[in-house]
Amino acid sequence: MISRLRMSASAGLAGVLMLGLAACGSSSTSVSGGSGIKVASGIQTPLTQARSGGKRGGTLTVLDHADFEHLDPGQAYFNLDYELTSATQRPLYSYKPNTFAAPSPDMASEPAQISADGKTITIHIRHGVRFSPPVNREVTSADVAYAIERGKNPNVNNPYFESYFSSLAGAGKATGGPFPGITTPDKYTIVLHLTEPRAQIVLDALVLPLSAPVPKEFASKFDAKKPTEYGNYLVATGPYMLKSDGAGKVLGVGYQQGKSATLVRNPNWNASTDSRPAYLDQINVQIGGDTTVIGRQVLEGSGMVQNDTPAQSIVKLAYEKFRTQLEISPGAGDHYIAVDNKQGPFSNVNVRKALWAALDREAMDKARGGELVTNVMTHFIYPEIPGFEAAGGLKGPQADYNAYPQGNPTLAAKYMKLAGYASGKYTGSKTLQVVGSTGSPSAEDAEIVNQTLKNLGFKTRFNLVDSSVMYSKYCGVPAEAIDVCPSVGWGADFGDPQAVLDVPFNGKNIIPSGNNNWGLVNDPEINKAMDAAESVLGTQARATAWAAIDRKLVAQAAAIPFDWDKQPNIEASNVAGVGDLWDTGEWDYSYTSLK
Amino acid sequence: MSAAGEPLLRVENLHVEFPTEDGVVKAVDGIDYEVGRGCTLGIVGESGSGKTVGAMTILGLTRAQGAKITGRILFEGRDLLGLPDPELQKIRGNEIAMVFQDPSSSLHPLYRVGAQIVEAVRAHQDVSKAQARERTIELLGLVGIPDPGRRVDDYPHEFSGGMRQRAMIAMALANEPKLLIADEPTTALDVTVQAQILALLERLRVQLGMAIVIVTHDMGVVAEMADEIAVMYAGRIVEIAATEALLSSPEHPYSWGLLRSIPTLAGPRVEQLAPIPGSPPSLIEPPTGCHFHPRCPYVQPEHTRIDPGLEPVKGEPSHRVACLLAAGERRRIWEGLR
Amino acid sequence: MTRYIIRRILWGVLLLIAVTALTFVLFRILPTGDPARLRAGRVASPQVVAAIRHDLGLDKSLFAQFWIYMKEVFLHFNLGFSYYSSAPVRGLIANRLPATLSLVLGASIVWLAVGLPVGIVSALRRRTLSDRVSMGTALVFVSAPEYWLGLIALYLFAADIGKVKVFPGAGSYVGLTSSPWKWFSSLLLPWLVLAAGSAAIYARLMRGSLSETMEEDYIRTARAKGLSERRVVMRHGVRAAINPIVTILALDIATLLGSAVLVETVFDIPGIGRLNYDAITHSDFPIVQGTVLLGALFIVVANILVDIAYAYLDPRVRYS
Repeated sequence: MISRLRMSASAGLAGVLMLGLAACGSSSTSVSGGSGIKVASGIQTPLTQARSGGKRGGTLTVLDHADFEHLDPGQAYFNLDYELTSATQRPLYSYKPNTFAAPSPDMASEPAQISADGKTITIHIRHGVRFSPPVNREVTSADVAYAIERGKNPNVNNPYFESYFSSLAGAGKATGGPFPGITTPDKYTIVLHLTEPRAQIVLDALVLPLSAPVPKEFASKFDAKKPTEYGNYLVATGPYMLKSDGAGKVLGVGYQQGKSATLVRNPNWNASTDSRPAYLDQINVQIGGDTTVIGRQVLEGSGMVQNDTPAQSIVKLAYEKFRTQLEISPGAGDHYIAVDNKQGPFSNVNVRKALWAALDREAMDKARGGELVTNVMTHFIYPEIPGFEAAGGLKGPQADYNAYPQGNPTLAAKYMKLAGYASGKYTGSKTLQVVGSTGSPSAEDAEIVNQTLKNLGFKTRFNLVDSSVMYSKYCGVPAEAIDVCPSVGWGADFGDPQAVLDVPFNGKNIIPSGNNNWGLVNDPEINKAMDAAESVLGTQARATAWAAIDRKLVAQAAAIPFDWDKQPNIEASNVAGVGDLWDTGEWDYSYTSLK
Repeated sequence: MSAAGEPLLRVENLHVEFPTEDGVVKAVDGIDYEVGRGCTLGIVGESGSGKTVGAMTILGLTRAQGAKITGRILFEGRDLLGLPDPELQKIRGNEIAMVFQDPSSSLHPLYRVGAQIVEAVRAHQDVSKAQARERTIELLGLVGIPDPGRRVDDYPHEFSGGMRQRAMIAMALANEPKLLIADEPTTALDVTVQAQILALLERLRVQLGMAIVIVTHDMGVVAEMADEIAVMYAGRIVEIAATEALLSSPEHPYSWGLLRSIPTLAGPRVEQLAPIPGSPPSLIEPPTGCHFHPRCPYVQPEHTRIDPGLEPVKGEPSHRVACLLAAGERRRIWEGLR
Repeated sequence: MTRYIIRRILWGVLLLIAVTALTFVLFRILPTGDPARLRAGRVASPQVVAAIRHDLGLDKSLFAQFWIYMKEVFLHFNLGFSYYSSAPVRGLIANRLPATLSLVLGASIVWLAVGLPVGIVSALRRRTLSDRVSMGTALVFVSAPEYWLGLIALYLFAADIGKVKVFPGAGSYVGLTSSPWKWFSSLLLPWLVLAAGSAAIYARLMRGSLSETMEEDYIRTARAKGLSERRVVMRHGVRAAINPIVTILALDIATLLGSAVLVETVFDIPGIGRLNYDAITHSDFPIVQGTVLLGALFIVVANILVDIAYAYLDPRVRYS
């Protein structure tokens, strides 16, 4: 009855955005986004929507079935959390609402300077940006340095520091204090020193809230707690701040766990330092409730938006009767079937291709709501991420097993024969371990996969568990040797193809628990190509390099893709919502206005 | 035996029927009797004979059970059957009071004994609580509760069985009724207490000048108290007579059986009891002819067809019996039994 | 009596300890997510998870964890801190309790106010049309899922999304102290919905209990006294028939205080049930443990209160 439609970054692990939607028979009379993604006419997208509704002031009510996970910019790692951090925190760089490819300077005053060897990044920060009360003083480069350093503090445990910032000199041994990789030559300059030429990925990752300044004199006493309590005593640099008491405490004031969050204007915010228009005076987030009720309240009400994914029935209703109040954001992640590349039947590339050929991807996507909110997935870099077109665009790379979105049993039989099963069906003795996620539409999709496996001659042990359990106890634990994980998915942290491909497919990222390379993909050639591509600089060059890797993954059928997600969001008729393309179309409170 | 003029209570052709899923139960199937002022009528019969239903119907207590009632119950000339509930309520507990069989279940377990009597007083008398309480203590004393000023605040479970029945009697006497209906008032009590309660009733009758209808299965009880006795069987009165007449020369074979089951002081008790063989008949489909015929040792073939009426015994206009046996035959058999 | 109550309280504390232990063990046996991993988030390295595990004390032996927890709970009344927000669980519960108390106690008044009279009338008119109609309706409400009923109620009567815009809708709850009138009006629909099923149950209970009572000899006595039928029913019948219902009522209220999650969710009332539910989905063990303990405490207290109430309601009951 109460399903968490979008798993949190932490609960679901790995930005696995469970975008649950039902069939909404979309007759897409195409309006094209930047990636050629079709969105039914009359529906807004973050790419096309107006960036201002006109009115300045007013209070926006945000209804939200799901709670936030972390408010601390050093810990936030969930698309709902990002809505709060975007409005209250200023990372060094950030995406404008309509782009997922090119970040703009935010706390930084200009684009970063990267040294020729790709090992040094120099960033200047803005003058005149001040922290919200009770700190009030101007932000300096030391505050940015402390923000990043505290990511290594075990009490903060930033979830992505290792992935993106481990090349900072001395980061390995750091525990929250200064380390050589970060220096601040003056109040407005910060320099990052890398041990390897990884400047691009580090720079990309500076859009994440970890790079938003944190005043050490205020935060360090909270960071000493196990775990840190800074999230309960936040200061802001953005146009809004969580309502707080005189001591800066937000827990129980501006944020009541599971209940509400209140954003008010940050009195120390200076519009001349920021490109955010910040029309609204206040944002009241109300947490909880039934998604169908919330959805109707938003569609029929005024001054409201829904934060999390609307219920299936509500998307349908919005599409049919409130189309102008519906926003569909392409590039909201993907879903694929992870199969065990290391051992068992799927260690044979032809068996993997057979499953790819046999799978009715259209049926899978229909369970998710059809073309309104999905596209048939044909390769791994997803729409709006640089490299998508180069890797094959919507149609995907040429391969016979990729040519039949409805599945082709004859072709599947051909690949089974190539794999050594003369009958065209699996004749071995192994019973496949299949672990999927409960809840619609994951369960329906897992069922289709299970049926497809049986049609290929496999015997299966089929289990559905809660998605957090699926990741933490089964698919994320290589020792469990799960053959097929039909319910996994990925959403990139930022608009860089490395963020899409590296963690789930690079052999070096296989770890004994909390593993996100679910298929244990460990192809020496692909690993080598990825390691090389990590050092490539420049958006275009990186797109080309990673697109080539994507094509290799398809050629190896490293996993069986089926769905590129488009995220629906809804607003009241008098709200000019502006969604963030980079954050699955979530409403950006500092751009959204009332009409 | 009775005061002149209109009797206090006259029951005429009373029928009480209960519709049930199995059929209509004819609990009372046409009975007539009179009770004079200050007199005692004993109604005797086995359980299921209709004696209790008949008694309760006088106060309209069978109305709540959905009974179909016909006939007349004239109390001081007024037909109680025709009275609407509020009118009847004025008579209940006031002019006619009732004492029930089982004193432990007849008192409300959650209220103090005194409060329950106070409630009875105040139901009919416009007196203050304090006055009603005084009256209650007086009543408890009257019925022989020791230390009534203290026991008035006891709960029923703190009373013994006999004390509870005394309390019930006190409650019944609260408004000095003209008629007291006592339904098996001693059955649930042990023998010594039985005698005390009967003596109490008799004393109160004399003292207060009220009439009593005492309903019992025990001929021994009425033998000592009643002026007149009616014997009921299968919803009907099969014999009615002045107590001495009924005890000395009963006319109905069923009365004989009842009389023979009275324990006397002479001889061992167990031997003396001669219960009537067989069990009470169905009240839904009573036996044809004389309803008693299946259990009657003197049954003749025609008794299974002919339904006897209640006829006066020759030479005794107030002694009536419903029996098909010839008068001489009856007298001969009784002589033999005695 | 006093000694009895003290004994009952001691037993209650023992029971609470047992419940705490059971929850503690269950939570660790059942395949829920690993709290440390859940907290660590996406691409966390094993070292980070281990660090969190250490911070949360999850690397200590199960017995040590249990001992620390029990010591804190029963000696210091400290229920620990949320794994997620580090907020003290006691504070979270205190923050949520007023909403749940408002919801459940208000609903219980509604269901008694509706259920008991209907039950009384039905008992007095058994097998009549009105009895059959009200008992039939009761059956419908008993079997209607309250979540569904809540949705229907909102779609019909909510001021924002209803067909007939009468009552404030979902998410309109405010605390009693901030605005008594808004508090009252926002709770009307939730009260009705939460009470619907129980009203039906209590109508049936009352009907059964009173029907039985009205057959009692003391009711006949009351009638024979010449009391009005109204007084016979209310003072003699209902008074006795209500006793068994008091027991059930106390336990029902106690149970609901911890488990009104469905109504709390559909009407978006931030109560204990939702706190507990959210915590379960987050594997936020300290909150789960705290709310379960609270629920058990309600039940234990309700049981003791029932016992005390019984001594007052029924003079035959004496404890030793």
